[in-house]
Amino acid sequence: MKYVPYVLLAIAALLFPYAVSQVFLHTPIEAEMGTAQKIFYFHVPLAWTTMVFGVVCGIAAGIQLRIRSERAEAIAVAAGEMVVLCGAGVLITGPIWGDATWGTPWTGDARQTSTALLWLVFVAYLLVRRYGPANSDRLAAALAIFGAVDVPIIYYAVKIWKTIHPQTTVVGSLPGSMWATLWLCVAAILPTCIALVWIRADQERSAMALDRAWIERDAAAATA
Amino acid sequence: MHLLRQTWLLTRNDLRQELRQLELVVTAGFFTLVVLIMFALAFSTLDDEVQPRAVPGMIWLCLAFVGALTLTRVFDREREASTFAALLAAPVDRLAIYLSKLLVTLGVLLICAALLIPGLALIFPAAGITRAPMLALGVLTLLGCLGYAAVGTLFAAGLATSSGKNVLLSVVLYPLTTPVLLFALVATARLLEGHAETWSALAQFAALDAILLGVAAWLFESVLVGVGQAPAPHPTARSTAERTSR
Repeated sequence: MKYVPYVLLAIAALLFPYAVSQVFLHTPIEAEMGTAQKIFYFHVPLAWTTMVFGVVCGIAAGIQLRIRSERAEAIAVAAGEMVVLCGAGVLITGPIWGDATWGTPWTGDARQTSTALLWLVFVAYLLVRRYGPANSDRLAAALAIFGAVDVPIIYYAVKIWKTIHPQTTVVGSLPGSMWATLWLCVAAILPTCIALVWIRADQERSAMALDRAWIERDAAAATA
Repeated sequence: MHLLRQTWLLTRNDLRQELRQLELVVTAGFFTLVVLIMFALAFSTLDDEVQPRAVPGMIWLCLAFVGALTLTRVFDREREASTFAALLAAPVDRLAIYLSKLLVTLGVLLICAALLIPGLALIFPAAGITRAPMLALGVLTLLGCLGYAAVGTLFAAGLATSSGKNVLLSVVLYPLTTPVLLFALVATARLLEGHAETWSALAQFAALDAILLGVAAWLFESVLVGVGQAPAPHPTARSTAERTSR
């Protein structure tokens, strides 16, 4: 198990150059959007990864609150950081694509707004963990759960307002070669993120063990 | 019944304190008036057709700011009098503590809304506030304030420590209360436009409030664990101290 993240990173390192060459050299240019559509192969996997780790963070935070599991807490922290990282990627690539396709980088449509708010909730999660009071671990966990509950609601609230984002049916109607390249990019990005979350969760658990050892040493010194 | 009675007793206690000092109502009410005057100065030249689209934003932005101010003070008062730890140690259902603080916050927000909405109706007559059905407007204001207070009370309680960390409340509060504010904004705009589906929007809003209230009530006890503790030393400070001791 110790070497799993490194194996995943090695696989991703092999797949990444191949995926990039497929995107730019071997996949046909989309008729309506032109070369700007190439950003889709990075934007969509990053968005999926953001959503996956948002859910992972919410579930891990729930387990952390229920059974006081250090492992769950470490996974929640690592997943929360990955949401912020990948979410930043989505929020950078999305407006670039939007500017080229819609003529404006930000339209305030349902998916844009819900992604931006998901990102803000997880930034707040990390801020509370880093600068919060003594009970910040539990408070941050509640924040992550609330964030996971909030996102579909925000999505619905903005959807009844206005939306021009490509619908799922548009993505579903892509030709097979584009789908294959998209899956290749997912296969390169997702293992990288899983490996990074794995390594970061291990780091977090080591930090918790060090904190505990420090407290025990202090307690032993006080008794002596 | 037991929960309701405990909630009522705790709410009555907070209201009694508030009636003696009028601190929350006066400060929040004054803040509302200041924001109202600022809106009047900044947007008095708005065109008639723009006003119905701008006023919903003004209402909910102002209430969001007033809410953050009120939530901080509701728990600060307990912290300053060192009564929060005693309240947590008392044989009272934690949910009753949550509900009582929620009701106090809701009361203050509704008083501020009662100042704000007629004020905006006077300053921006073309917005159509006076033509909107009063019952629907009242229900909408109640639902908006309830949803906001439901989320806010949970996190204000979690940050009610002695370490001055409640500044983080705004960081947490605004992203999390966005669904409520968005719904309120859309529903208010529809109400002012005289949209036919106002009551179905209000029913959806009530469902949203029920979800937020349920999740917040479920998480309240978990969040409160450790609130009475002394702040933990900062990890960086600890490692510096360790290096110095070596």
